[in-house]
Amino acid sequence: MLACVLSVTAVLAGCGGSKEAAGTNNQSGGSAAPQGQTASAGKPVEIDFWYALGGKNGEYIEKMVKDFNASHKDIVVKPAYQGSYYENHSKVLASVSAGNQPDVTMVEVGSIGAFADAKVLEDLGPYANGAEKKYIPGLLGNSYWKDKLYAIPFNRSTPLLYLNRDMLKAAGLDPNGPKTWDELRQFSEALTKKEGDKTATYGFSTAIDIWFYEALVFQSGGKILTDDNKELAINSEAGKAPLEFWTGMLKEGVMKAPPGEKYNAWDVAKQDFLNQQVGMIFTSTGDLRSLKENAKFDLGTAFLPANKNFGAPTGGANLVMLAKSSDEEKKASWEFMQWMTDTKQTIPFSLESGYMPVTTEAVESEDMKKAYEKEPNFQVAVKQLQYASPRPMVPGYKELQEVIMTEIQRAVLGQASVDEAIQKATEKGQKLLKK
Amino acid sequence: MMQVGRTAWKTVEWVLLAAVGLVFLFPFLWMFLTAFKTMPEVYQFPPTWWPESWQFENFRIAWSSGPFVTYVMNSILVAGGILILQFLIAVPAAYAFARYRFPGRNLLFGLSLIALMIPSQVIFLPVYVEMSHWGLVNTLWSLILPFGASAFGIFLLRQSFMQVPDEVIEAARLDSASEWKIMWTIMVPMAKPVLVTFGLFSFIYHWNDYFWPLIMTNSDSVRTLPIGISMLKAAEGGKQWNVIMAGNLILVLPILVVFFIAQRHIISAFVYQSK
Repeated sequence: MLACVLSVTAVLAGCGGSKEAAGTNNQSGGSAAPQGQTASAGKPVEIDFWYALGGKNGEYIEKMVKDFNASHKDIVVKPAYQGSYYENHSKVLASVSAGNQPDVTMVEVGSIGAFADAKVLEDLGPYANGAEKKYIPGLLGNSYWKDKLYAIPFNRSTPLLYLNRDMLKAAGLDPNGPKTWDELRQFSEALTKKEGDKTATYGFSTAIDIWFYEALVFQSGGKILTDDNKELAINSEAGKAPLEFWTGMLKEGVMKAPPGEKYNAWDVAKQDFLNQQVGMIFTSTGDLRSLKENAKFDLGTAFLPANKNFGAPTGGANLVMLAKSSDEEKKASWEFMQWMTDTKQTIPFSLESGYMPVTTEAVESEDMKKAYEKEPNFQVAVKQLQYASPRPMVPGYKELQEVIMTEIQRAVLGQASVDEAIQKATEKGQKLLKK
Repeated sequence: MMQVGRTAWKTVEWVLLAAVGLVFLFPFLWMFLTAFKTMPEVYQFPPTWWPESWQFENFRIAWSSGPFVTYVMNSILVAGGILILQFLIAVPAAYAFARYRFPGRNLLFGLSLIALMIPSQVIFLPVYVEMSHWGLVNTLWSLILPFGASAFGIFLLRQSFMQVPDEVIEAARLDSASEWKIMWTIMVPMAKPVLVTFGLFSFIYHWNDYFWPLIMTNSDSVRTLPIGISMLKAAEGGKQWNVIMAGNLILVLPILVVFFIAQRHIISAFVYQSK
């Protein structure tokens, strides 16, 4: 795993250089030829699309591409599954240096900056020409890098508070869930049940993950990075508040920190929630469908509770176009990206997967309204978007988030005080940002 | 008295072995049983041991989620191809290192040992670019060629070739056997347990390898089993653990078969080494 992360960084650094040289070649040679071809030759343009979703969502993406190909005679899209977001990332970067890159791919939102900075991505501004306004503003935060549009929202998620309404009702609590941190704590206390010395059920559980830390910092009116992206901003009241909140609840024994690394901890939290050993959890809106299918209780969702204000990061991935493709391929790619994220496609994709619809028109559509009426839980994520902030996306954020996460976890495990952990994270993180 | 002590010791030994064996067996058992459970049962707490109703359906879902026959064929071609190539290169190389004195021998051997210490993830980029230049990306060759020379194999075989007494080789030379013949008909059979052990290590490693085939290939027609199985997982959202485990069972079954066929030799490889 570590080797993987390291190699990704190495590639990122390496690509910037080799790419520029190759890019200029491409531009001078490419502009004359392909334009002529589009007009004369009737052969369809082939473009490669690399995606990073397995399981049922991956199957659905394949189906979407099939529909696109059937309805576009002049373009043939060849989809290829490339593993998780990060496996796909390293592969895209390797293929860019080798010159056999795809034309369109998915990039996790926090990595857009790193890819744009390495000059791997095409500036979409001239293609969109204002068409980007159809996407929900709360989802576009991770589309821009240095004021240029590089990415189109595709499969987007946000964290939600999931509730076991049966447990809440049984404890005499508001089944709509807590609205503030204080309420979350009171709810957790009320839901925690002890049997002798052992805790039989916890009120609340969440993976100690950077995504949720970001959420809690935003809710405390803070930021992860300063506006110029040059400094870490977590050595502040807002940066410490989440840790104090978590460690406090852990000390009281009303919150469970699920064991396991990364997504394993998420899985444990979800499992505990489904087994009714935990009353409330934080997890992604992308989990809604499967949790709903497997829960034997009245499952509800709510906004993440507020500290000073409501707040949440968004997550998931965007679609990007690669700078190295030919003009002809780029034109076709834009057509494809636009189609994939259009209202007509995003509604069924959202209903199928649990990811959020990406256009405003989709949210306001009759189909979506009907679906929301039937399943109001699906709407919570979209409503919460008005309080959403983009994830930080400086080029080094992947490494930075590892550093922050390690220190946060030390505080949660009681190996460091909150102040020490934040201090350490800031020092180490600052060094990374200076690079 | 001695006899009693020995039996007692044997019992302790057996209990310990059984305990350790169970620790290693447990994940296998868990995978096996989970592969037959329904999804709600996977999430059940306290967990159940025996599936309430055996779901053979999970295997059908896993198998029909992609072109699994192609995946299996590719896995066999890749893991088998690598193995053959490694033997063809490692046997003469190890023979030369073990039995010949030539200028730069130690340097060359040192270099091949260094190759042992670099994980493939670190050098994947240059190799990828190289393969791309040769137009081999997205072919089975790009999965086989980079692993053709195994430093581990050369090292292991050299050790065992060095153990063959000089007299044996001298006798063969007196009978005017060619070097080629000595290598393949005298050295190789004597090193058979080591060859089998190495072959098994290599086969299992490349059979399970996920990173390399993922990086080198884009289309299903050249992909291997581990990639096919990883497609059963969702990046976010709930995982169908029962189906994933069914897929994993399909993945490890051939390895288990190969292992049981070869296990007699593995044991003798270690006996041979410690002689």
